[in-house]
Amino acid sequence: MRIVIAEDDPLLREGLALLLRAEGLDVVATADSPGTFLAAVDEHKPDVAIVDVRMPPTHTDEGIVAAVEARRRQPELAVLVLSAYVEQAFATDLLAGGSARLGYLLKERVGRVSSFLDALHRVFAGGTAVDPEVIGQLLVRARPDSGLDRLSPRETEVLALMAEGLGNTAIASKLVLSDSAVHKHVRQIFAKLGLTPDDQVDRRVAAVLRFLEAAR
Amino acid sequence: MLGGLGTSGLALAALLLAPFTRRVLRAAAGRERSRLGIVDLPPVPGDRRELGWAALHATAGLVVGLVGLSLPVYAVQYCTFPLWYRLLDPSMGGPGFVTWGIDGLADAFGVFLIGVLFAVAAFALLPGIAELQAFPGRRLLAPAADADLSLRVAELTATRAAALDAHATELRRIERSLHDGTQNRLVALNVLIGAARRAQERNPAAVADILNRAQDATEQALAELRAVVRSILPPVLDDRGLAGALAGLAGACSVPCALEVDLPGRCAASVEATAYFVVAEALTNVVKHSGAGSVAVTARRDGDRLRLRVTDDGRGGADESSGSGLAGIRRRVAAYDGRFAMTSPAGGPTTMDVELPCGS
Repeated sequence: MRIVIAEDDPLLREGLALLLRAEGLDVVATADSPGTFLAAVDEHKPDVAIVDVRMPPTHTDEGIVAAVEARRRQPELAVLVLSAYVEQAFATDLLAGGSARLGYLLKERVGRVSSFLDALHRVFAGGTAVDPEVIGQLLVRARPDSGLDRLSPRETEVLALMAEGLGNTAIASKLVLSDSAVHKHVRQIFAKLGLTPDDQVDRRVAAVLRFLEAAR
Repeated sequence: MLGGLGTSGLALAALLLAPFTRRVLRAAAGRERSRLGIVDLPPVPGDRRELGWAALHATAGLVVGLVGLSLPVYAVQYCTFPLWYRLLDPSMGGPGFVTWGIDGLADAFGVFLIGVLFAVAAFALLPGIAELQAFPGRRLLAPAADADLSLRVAELTATRAAALDAHATELRRIERSLHDGTQNRLVALNVLIGAARRAQERNPAAVADILNRAQDATEQALAELRAVVRSILPPVLDDRGLAGALAGLAGACSVPCALEVDLPGRCAASVEATAYFVVAEALTNVVKHSGAGSVAVTARRDGDRLRLRVTDDGRGGADESSGSGLAGIRRRVAAYDGRFAMTSPAGGPTTMDVELPCGS
């Protein structure tokens, strides 16, 4: 896995690179500004970009803008966005616009190395990684008519983990359930949200999108 | 008094026009208010006192005004009578109410004496007459007691909004310093601790190095936190005031610094803090970039404005985009609605002018 890191804080940038290299991952370049980041993407053609939201010059959303541009230049690029806190509007926009190969994590998650690496690998493999904090906020804001209120607390939990990007096995181990129990919950969720097996869409994606849209 | 006569004429016109337009009434009343020095507040719906004033002022006010006007007119007419009595036919009687025949200079002089009486009366009575004429206006056009209070409330609301604004700006600045500094250091620390724990299992030799970095990050976090705390309100400002704090900065500056301070009274605490940082940042720039042999700082209070000037004899060419603290200074000054100006031609000298509203 070839990685480019875009982070303007030198200590954090070097810390991340050190951590990932110690895990045997290939950090091909680090960048401290959107410009150098895009140049590094063009030069190294990485698999994954780890991007800080706030970057120079204005420290608002330069990182996001740069990540979007990098994806335009290289559509296969997986992007894992790191943010100091949940910026709701961006999180929902990013995910509802198609969540494959995208991740959005709070910076403090990086310290829990194994779950951070899980997220990184998931995004690399074409999946999604959404911070539980983001999902939690979305749940609170869910509209009453979205059908989500018919879910049991356990089913809501399972759906939230699906939205984070976890597969059934990971959900099972996280909730200390058997695989078949998780499978049953997922079927229940599909049923309650009115997603039938003969639909042309991926029901799993549809359920997660319903969940995300309900919070918009 | 003449003005009063004028406005009473206006009032009469307003009264006659009142059924057609309230604006004429407002204008006439406004004229009278400015004559009497009464604040003009927006009209209170249903307040008929203005109309009452117009009725009184247009009738009684007009009469009183004409009486007042007649006194000096008669005085002049009668006093000058000896000069022109010959032009009149003696059998026709004198001017005004002098109905008896005027025969010779003695009679004319008698009329002159009446004129003197009128003059004395005019001097004695005119102020009272003017006051009498102004009386309805003072009573009926003054804002109601509660209106005066609402004016005060409006004023307080405005100043309070300004204070809240400055407060919000300051909070944003603190949030930014905490986010860009302390929070990032702690995140880095967290990453390094995570890395150390992973290394412990697989590569214990690397742990010491990672912990070293972690300690560096901790020290940096502490230093930055201290800077943020000091930037909220430097303790020296509280202890010694702005003049004392600036003296401290000048004394600690490694380039010889001449300080000239004229600051009667104190400004708002946040403004003093801004002034302090502006000077501190400017001196840091002088030391780091200018190569100057001396620098002069002046701080003056000019009414409601606090003016700062920092001049050095260095090489000039200071550039806001080159990452010096100049952009930060500009931001801080702008937050207080102040002015920031800088001239720095290549070869020097560099002069920075900052002006801040005192807020007190």
